[in-house]
Amino acid sequence: MANTLDRLADQVRENRIWRSIFRSGTGESNLHRALTVQQNVFLHLFSVKARKRTLEFRATWYLGALTFGTFLILVITGILLMLYYHPSVPQAYADMKDLQFVVSSGVFLRNLHRWSAHAMVFLVFAHMFKVFYRGAYRPPREFNWVIGVVLLLMTLLLSYTGYLLPWDQLAFWAVTVGSNIASAVPVIGAKMRFLMLGGTAVNANALLRFYVLHCVILPFAAVVLIAIHFWRIRKDGGIYPGESPAEGDAK
Amino acid sequence: MKNNLHALWQLFFGDSARAFGSASVILLVLLAVAPAKNHFSQWRHYQKQYLHLIRGRADAVTLERHFQGGIQQIWIPEQQVTDRCTTCHLGMKEASLADVSSVAFREHPVIPHKLTEFGCTTCHRGQGAATTVEEAHSATEQWEQPLLPAKYIEAGCGQCHLENQTGTPFLNQGRQLIVSYGCTHCHTIKQGDGTYVTPDDDPPSLKHIADKTTREWVYAWIKDPQAYAGTATMPNYHLSDDDARDVSAFILAQSTPLEPPLQPVKADTKTPADPAAGTSLYGQSFCASCHAMQNAAGMMVGGNVGPELTGIGTKAKPEWLQDWVANPNHYDPGTMMPHYRFDAAQVATLTGFLESKVEPDFVANVHLDAATPEQVEHGKRLAVENGCASCHEINGIKKPENFAPELSRIGSKPLNQLIFVEGVEHSLPGYVAGKVRNPRAFGPSLKMPQFKFTPQQIDAITTALLALTDRAQSQPPTMRIASVQQSKYQPAGNAGQLMGDLRCFTCHMINGHGGDMAPDLTWEGTAVQREWLTQFLKNPETLRPALIRRMPKFNLRDAEINTLADYMMTVYQTPEFDRDSLPVSQFNPAQVEQGRQLFYSKFACQSCHIADYKNDKGYIGPALAATGKRFNAAWVYYWLKDPQALRPGTIEPNQHMTDDEARALTAFLMSLKSGGAQGAMKK
Repeated sequence: MANTLDRLADQVRENRIWRSIFRSGTGESNLHRALTVQQNVFLHLFSVKARKRTLEFRATWYLGALTFGTFLILVITGILLMLYYHPSVPQAYADMKDLQFVVSSGVFLRNLHRWSAHAMVFLVFAHMFKVFYRGAYRPPREFNWVIGVVLLLMTLLLSYTGYLLPWDQLAFWAVTVGSNIASAVPVIGAKMRFLMLGGTAVNANALLRFYVLHCVILPFAAVVLIAIHFWRIRKDGGIYPGESPAEGDAK
Repeated sequence: MKNNLHALWQLFFGDSARAFGSASVILLVLLAVAPAKNHFSQWRHYQKQYLHLIRGRADAVTLERHFQGGIQQIWIPEQQVTDRCTTCHLGMKEASLADVSSVAFREHPVIPHKLTEFGCTTCHRGQGAATTVEEAHSATEQWEQPLLPAKYIEAGCGQCHLENQTGTPFLNQGRQLIVSYGCTHCHTIKQGDGTYVTPDDDPPSLKHIADKTTREWVYAWIKDPQAYAGTATMPNYHLSDDDARDVSAFILAQSTPLEPPLQPVKADTKTPADPAAGTSLYGQSFCASCHAMQNAAGMMVGGNVGPELTGIGTKAKPEWLQDWVANPNHYDPGTMMPHYRFDAAQVATLTGFLESKVEPDFVANVHLDAATPEQVEHGKRLAVENGCASCHEINGIKKPENFAPELSRIGSKPLNQLIFVEGVEHSLPGYVAGKVRNPRAFGPSLKMPQFKFTPQQIDAITTALLALTDRAQSQPPTMRIASVQQSKYQPAGNAGQLMGDLRCFTCHMINGHGGDMAPDLTWEGTAVQREWLTQFLKNPETLRPALIRRMPKFNLRDAEINTLADYMMTVYQTPEFDRDSLPVSQFNPAQVEQGRQLFYSKFACQSCHIADYKNDKGYIGPALAATGKRFNAAWVYYWLKDPQALRPGTIEPNQHMTDDEARALTAFLMSLKSGGAQGAMKK
């Protein structure tokens, strides 16, 4: 039975269409495995080989992967939410109400997005602490640490810009306070606030600006930075294995 | 036990494959909760109940055909209406469900609008988008505006209907109270059509108050206006004795003497007037059309245009009364009171009669020492603080601007912008009613005085205020039905001056300007014959058999009557037809006879009108026995053809007569030339 399945799978993999997509072909050799990773646009970010030890739970608590998981959930639910949301003053709050009352599982969708956002902020911090206390930020990984810090900033900005979009009192006043804090910067404060809100008050322009930031600019920047972040893990010698000399064999 | 648990753990999470499988199953179950919640939603439950209800009824087939499952909504984007109320309230349009006990499924009471025209929340408020009972009806964390209590429901109508509607007595009353109690002297109310609510209480100027009354009376009045006259609209400021003393000192001190000064009452006319003559002159002059007075039985008799006169003798000084009765323009050029041309004897009689109307108790216990400058100064400060000049003209104090909060959008005020006190229901209607009922309860430093309203009046005012919503301001102009605005019409020339002096516009409306107590005179020149008009001005008589009230006699001189009659006959003509286009000489006796038949049989005019005092009993409409002396034939003819065209809103029915019928009836009516109603009654 198992053999039959294996043979069937091999047949599919040897198929011409399959081979035109996945050029590395089948095979158990190291070369094949390396090619599989290298020739795939997604996988090529990762190392061809990793120490077994670094893949265990205790090495990273999977915090980075979990953060990325919440990010994926946020992208998917976010796109679905965009189908129901208009970034306009008269409509934004009404769209919240529609999600709550008439969209099938609309409340579930919103809550999933919201709780994932909270989880992501929490996980990003946890990830940072884990990296920090294990000393994984030290050379040669110092640049990836910096990328990570920028990604933390991205996460917080995404969180903040998303907060305005329901256009309720909480949102309005949070952004009012936030933009007033920005205006406290010496010399350029007022300009910064104007840039942030696209005007002098939290209104239609601010809503549109925050929407574009939340749905286009920041996610795009985050994706690019995440890609660099992952790629640098490979370039910096894989996931930090810890203080002691390598115990596990390369696999 | 522990072993069992361990075995269970091993079974589900023993190795990575089992753990992955178990976790996946748990996740799937959790994910299934979302669609399940969707499926078991409240509105589905109500729709099932509704189906259950209608299945047991005789017209189940029809009702089921009307039924549509799923979320229903009334969506009117231009009015920002998204109302899903009909998702559960499924029987709204089903007349056969009027008797259902459950409010949820009962038919909506009949209203002049289609339910889909404005949606539900436009009038009822609440959260239209919601599909759960709690969210739709109540104030929740995310929604401030709950359903409007049923007793204020007319506020919904008032958002679009700025004019009075017969179906909204409560709203009309509230609006009338706001106007007649002068709320808008202090509060600005800008209506959706851009017009401002203007008060019509006409508070008197206090610039010459010392000529009119005494400081003792002013003191007692300020302390409690309603103690002097129950109908007084002035509110109570709850001033302490000392404050009232100082305010009265200031009010008297700022007063300047009239120019030219009042004449003292002559000794010989000061003899006690004949009370019977006074009563009869008061009656003949129809003072009671505007002024109320308590009669011996304690009943209030008279109109509410002018102030109540029950205690006028206590209030007004004799020399002021004499001056006022002779010519009110002298004391107050802006008064609504006409200038009766009384002769000296009549002035003395009426003054004496009014002087005898006293309420000595009102000022009996007021003993004031002469005012000191400090008291006057303090009184002025109090007058400024309390905004006395918002209503009254006072020397030395300017009318304050925006003295009280604007109320143009009070009906949409967010609750978080209001400060509630104990005993006031935490809702917008509760707040507004509480403020109207007892404004000072909201804080001792608040300035709004205490008005005396009945609970029913308070609810009416609250209704009118709740109609002042954001929606009323922001909706498209096409939705609005504007109130009738007074035009600025003023007649010109000598006649215009005369009409101003006689205050014709206090009662009559001409070209959209004036009062509604007496007939509209816009086309009076087309309607009546000059001879009749001069007779009427000389000696007005009542034109309706059921009415005792009539136009007062102003004792006009012949020259004045001629001026008025000339002007009215020339100017107040309809452009629609020529008043002389139907000469009476055209009519022949056959037509008159045919008209008589039509009058008594086909159209049965005698049900409402009197053509012959001996036989006819109709008293709804004016008596027609003197039509031939009063009207022009053309007017009668066109009136019969289409009464509403000549006077919109008249209750005279349009009988859709043929030209011949109208002509014959006109011939008959113009043949009626007996005396006026009074003359006939006397016979």
